[in-house]
Amino acid sequence: MLYINGTVCLSPQPTSDTSVFLPEVKEYHSNKIFCIDVDYSKFFDAGSMRRMGRIIKFGVTAGILALKDAGVETPGAISTGTGYGLMDISQKFLNSVIDSEETIVSPTSFIQSTHNTVSSNIALMVGCHAHNNTFAHRGFSFESVITDALLLGKEGFDNILVGAYDEVSDHSYRSMMRMDMLRAEPCSNLKLFSESHCGTIAGEGAAFFVLAKQKSDPTYGTIKACKTFPAPADANDLKRTVLGFLSDNGLSPKEIDIVLSGHCGDAKADRLNNILTHDTFSEQSILAFKHLCGEYMTATSFATWLAAKMMKTQTIPEVLYLENRNREPRNILIYNSLKANHSLMLFANV
Amino acid sequence: MQVFVAGKGVITAIGNNVAENLQSFYEGRSGISDITILRTNYAGKLPAGEIKFSNAALAAMAGLEGTVSRTGLFSMIAAREALQDAQIPEPGKWRIGFLSANTVGGMDITENIFKAFHEDHTKADLSEVEQHDTGAITDIVAAQLGIKDFVTTISTACSSSANSIMLGARLIKNNLLDIALAGGTDALSRFTLNGFNSLMILDDKPCTPYNETRKGLNLGEGAGYIVLVSERVAKTLPKKVMASLSGYANANDAFHQTASSPEGKGNYLAMTGALAMTGLRHEAIGYINVHGTGTNNNDLSESIAMERIFGIAPPKFSSTKTFTGHTLGACGGVEAVYSLLAMEHQIIPPHLRWTAQMKEVPFKPVTELMTGVEINHAMSNSFGFGGNCSSLIFSKVN
Amino acid sequence: MEELIATLKKQIVEQLNLQHIKPEDIGDDQPLFVEGLGLDSIDALELIVLLQQHYGIKLANPSDGPAIFHSVRTFAEYILAHRTK
Repeated sequence: MLYINGTVCLSPQPTSDTSVFLPEVKEYHSNKIFCIDVDYSKFFDAGSMRRMGRIIKFGVTAGILALKDAGVETPGAISTGTGYGLMDISQKFLNSVIDSEETIVSPTSFIQSTHNTVSSNIALMVGCHAHNNTFAHRGFSFESVITDALLLGKEGFDNILVGAYDEVSDHSYRSMMRMDMLRAEPCSNLKLFSESHCGTIAGEGAAFFVLAKQKSDPTYGTIKACKTFPAPADANDLKRTVLGFLSDNGLSPKEIDIVLSGHCGDAKADRLNNILTHDTFSEQSILAFKHLCGEYMTATSFATWLAAKMMKTQTIPEVLYLENRNREPRNILIYNSLKANHSLMLFANV
Repeated sequence: MQVFVAGKGVITAIGNNVAENLQSFYEGRSGISDITILRTNYAGKLPAGEIKFSNAALAAMAGLEGTVSRTGLFSMIAAREALQDAQIPEPGKWRIGFLSANTVGGMDITENIFKAFHEDHTKADLSEVEQHDTGAITDIVAAQLGIKDFVTTISTACSSSANSIMLGARLIKNNLLDIALAGGTDALSRFTLNGFNSLMILDDKPCTPYNETRKGLNLGEGAGYIVLVSERVAKTLPKKVMASLSGYANANDAFHQTASSPEGKGNYLAMTGALAMTGLRHEAIGYINVHGTGTNNNDLSESIAMERIFGIAPPKFSSTKTFTGHTLGACGGVEAVYSLLAMEHQIIPPHLRWTAQMKEVPFKPVTELMTGVEINHAMSNSFGFGGNCSSLIFSKVN
Repeated sequence: MEELIATLKKQIVEQLNLQHIKPEDIGDDQPLFVEGLGLDSIDALELIVLLQQHYGIKLANPSDGPAIFHSVRTFAEYILAHRTK
């Protein structure tokens, strides 16, 4: 268990201001939605910013702002996750390799293309020489980071900066189209769950957290556990896994107040979420989040940001509700799936 | 709590399995050669540690479809060898994790379909598109090996698979896993070849690390994995466990995006952090498999950090990248296997092509194969882009 | 020479994505690296690409870079002496 003592999220919604919680909700009419930029020139000098791809700017900025939110200058360790990595800049480099038939390529794009660029840039900016990891495993990327951080907490590390970031790149968007994951027609993100459809919307964002052994005043709440598992055989298999996870953490389903469910608006992909939320958590408040941030490999970092903000403010934005408005944000469970990658995360307020 | 090494597997330009790699050390046979498999303009111009098998041949070895990325094929071959080597009597009764690492994912496939895919996304095969990301490679192998309890991928450039091995040990120590199959894989690609070439750190001859006259690195490809087990699992094994993973540390240089600090701060912190965990004095280390890429910058920072820790007479050391080239995301796993081989067979793998003493430090690598060397503790260094530095220490179990 | 210097300034700004600098702000003899324009080792690699892309000059040894890229003028002199296109 670790305390969440600071967090900042940059997303397609107005989430960057730590003093408020979703003051308004943005509606988009598209099957891909992008991060709202902040003024990055406040964080980088012109000399280094000229080389940075968009994901580096919003990823590093979210990390630096989360440290500021927690009042921590140099973290005790850094662990980050990204599903697709720095796809846009990799694509730029690959284009130069192919177009020039391997004669004229850009070293800058290559340098910036490695998955650990965001994590190492943060280390560089805050002078952090400690443990520095980057996970890049699809729908487990952010969950692996949380596992890493929970271990680090037991190993004597403190004020661990964790986060995740992914971008809608031309390549990732085309890939999701090819895999039939996206709506064929533009749609309103706020009507993502209104009727049965095929496909979701592509999204992106960066969310960072400072996890600590002692609570700050005020803290956001605690992250208690995380579990990743492959696609369940059926709804019963999923239920067994969820109950097992809860009991490992000394909880019964009744004690859960809120389920943040990774509903994505695709009827087929949401089938297990629907069964789980109706069957096992019929009395709980069921919330969704992907209509706000879109689908991406590290979307659970956005859900974690929502959980943290809900715990701290003890409010639930109306736009999140799928079912039941009866519970308060105390024990929160995130259930998410992205193809074969399924995950659970557990939070509790203090 | 101790974490034991129960098995190892490797495929590189000097062999398809552990025995062949070991034999190459005995014969001093380097795997650096002209590129003949990868389709690139640099064939014949830039040498590499290329594995001389077509994807079809590798797929047959791996028992996978020929459409699987080369990165995945290497991973499957080495990971399966490590598991078989461990001879775990009843694997089904334990919690097993697959912790892999790579830097390019299915780039060898992506770069072939890229243009057509970006003109019309319906043109590419689904399986080609689905294999692009780093995690896809791990998922393919985990599925084939039937590992479900914990699966992830680390991508921290050249230290990636040292970090996946560390994570395996940490998960076992914290009782989240009983068995961790950990290491990494990477295949040569035009992406990395052109990238490193644009940084002007590739040698157009076989590389000469730790030479005053060194000109850069050669890229390589392959995979290396070890099987880490808890004490409880170790007791059930039919053969004697040879080694434990006694120390490890992950540090960051926080100096520059690609270059190491002149004093090798990250390198120093990784090596001293790993030593501190073992509780050993530095004299106890019998062999260091150095990162030793052959770039001016790496070898200087690493040797200065070594001098700071070990003084003017450090332990016997060599860079096996003189045999394999720099296998990037795989090198931590590959070189962990080599460090274990050195202890087990009492050898120091030779550091090939060394001719000229570096002027900044007074020591040099072991340039001829040494046999009959008692090594109780071996260190493996993996340092990379972004300042990511990790060191592992393996200790002999008596 | 003057024409080449002007062109080169534009190309440097473009290649290095120096959004905060106008080509005409770069002095002919101003040092490009560190204390001058503040370029670094990664920029040096980009300038090597520029040489190859626009002037057909292949620089085999990066350690030749500092002398060639000292200022726009030294850069231009080198190009005039070695250009193939």
